[in-house]
Amino acid sequence: MKIVGVAACTVGIAHTYIAQEKLENAGKAAGHEIAIETQGTIGTENELTKEQITAADIVILAADVKIAGRERFEGKRIIQVPTEVAVKSPNKLIEKAAEVIEKK
Amino acid sequence: MNKMKELNLKGHLLTAISYLIPIVCGAGFLIAIGMGFGGTSQGELIPGEFSFWDALATMGGAGLGLLPVVIATGISYSIAGKPGIAPGFIIGLTANAIGAGFIGGILGGFLSGYLAVAILKYFKVPKWAKGLMPTLILPFFTSIIGGLIMVYIIGSPIAALTSLLTNALDSLGSSSLLVFGGIVGLLSGIDYGGPINKTVFAFVLTMQAEGINGPITALQLVNTATPIGFGLAYFIAKLFGKKIYTPAETETLKSAVPMGFINIVEGVIPIVMNDIIRCLIATAIGGAAGGAVSMVLGADATVPFGGVLMLPTMSNPLTGVIALLVNILVTGLTLALIKRHVNQDEMNVEKEMEEEDIDLDDIKIY
Repeated sequence: MKIVGVAACTVGIAHTYIAQEKLENAGKAAGHEIAIETQGTIGTENELTKEQITAADIVILAADVKIAGRERFEGKRIIQVPTEVAVKSPNKLIEKAAEVIEKK
Repeated sequence: MNKMKELNLKGHLLTAISYLIPIVCGAGFLIAIGMGFGGTSQGELIPGEFSFWDALATMGGAGLGLLPVVIATGISYSIAGKPGIAPGFIIGLTANAIGAGFIGGILGGFLSGYLAVAILKYFKVPKWAKGLMPTLILPFFTSIIGGLIMVYIIGSPIAALTSLLTNALDSLGSSSLLVFGGIVGLLSGIDYGGPINKTVFAFVLTMQAEGINGPITALQLVNTATPIGFGLAYFIAKLFGKKIYTPAETETLKSAVPMGFINIVEGVIPIVMNDIIRCLIATAIGGAAGGAVSMVLGADATVPFGGVLMLPTMSNPLTGVIALLVNILVTGLTLALIKRHVNQDEMNVEKEMEEEDIDLDDIKIY
């Protein structure tokens, strides 16, 4: 399946990027297509394209703060967690995402 | 409880803090450099009557003086989106004017945000007046209601509370400083940049905004020292012929330690996850020691972030260095002592990392 997401933590220099990396690795390991945008203090990087979002089956938001551009995901299935969860249990989070989609 | 969760108070506060940190760091360094070279922060720069260092100190002072405004605006924006910005500014400035400071700014931000949301929801205007809503009705009514509440109801009690708190902290004796510093250090060391650490951070940042720099300095020195302590433990253990890290963990250390120098504690999380209890004990003890030393000696960085970069901003950088060293040594020694020797089998087979189960409370599905 196709996953997109956003990572954003409070200070915006560490957790954001650890969460991104862990989620992308976990997603790829489980055979999914995954792209995570980071919204750190430096600004938005690895920005999701319209096509990526349209094609995505589910959105994972790993965020402790208000994210920019949330309206882009209007109408999609969204899973929101604190960045902590993505950092500590990325594989379980991806599994959970797969469950959510199957239930649909 | 669910209602509280929906309000997401902490999320809004953290959002505002994320806007605040770069401002505090920028302004903090400006004022530290300016004052370090003999400048003073002035209310007004009169041409011809100020030095270069006065200029720097004044820039920094102006930035730091805006903190209640920034936190109010940030919270209000987080709650209400763009319409929250204007009233957030006005109510934040009002909090400043009545002397309610940073705590006033926080409450003012929530006030402003929820008022803006309520007005958007309940205030219906005819179609022709739609343009008036965001330009006049919303900013005016949110500001006047929130501002008056700030001035006549909550402002003075908060101002009194704030000065009570700052006076109490200012007059702490060295034994209470020891305990206070120890607790701050312990709490910040205990979850490696996680929610406990961030909660303590919000608390000590409030104190810094009131001009008390000790607690936040203690917290950030602990965050800085922890990963370096993990690095030191490697060498101490080696000295005794003990191997406490797997090759993958040693690899992690190579990036975690440099990250530690600039105040990022999160780098050691992968190592901690493999051996939570022992690592926690070591960081907690080290953190308590470092925090206590930092507070007793009076390390007082004017910036709330930066690791070793915070040292030059202290009135006496040596105090910070000593606190860091104590913390690093204690954490390193404890780790080297209590961590198990990694035997050859474990070296060869990289352990599959056990993941924590996800707490369903932490997860929201839309």
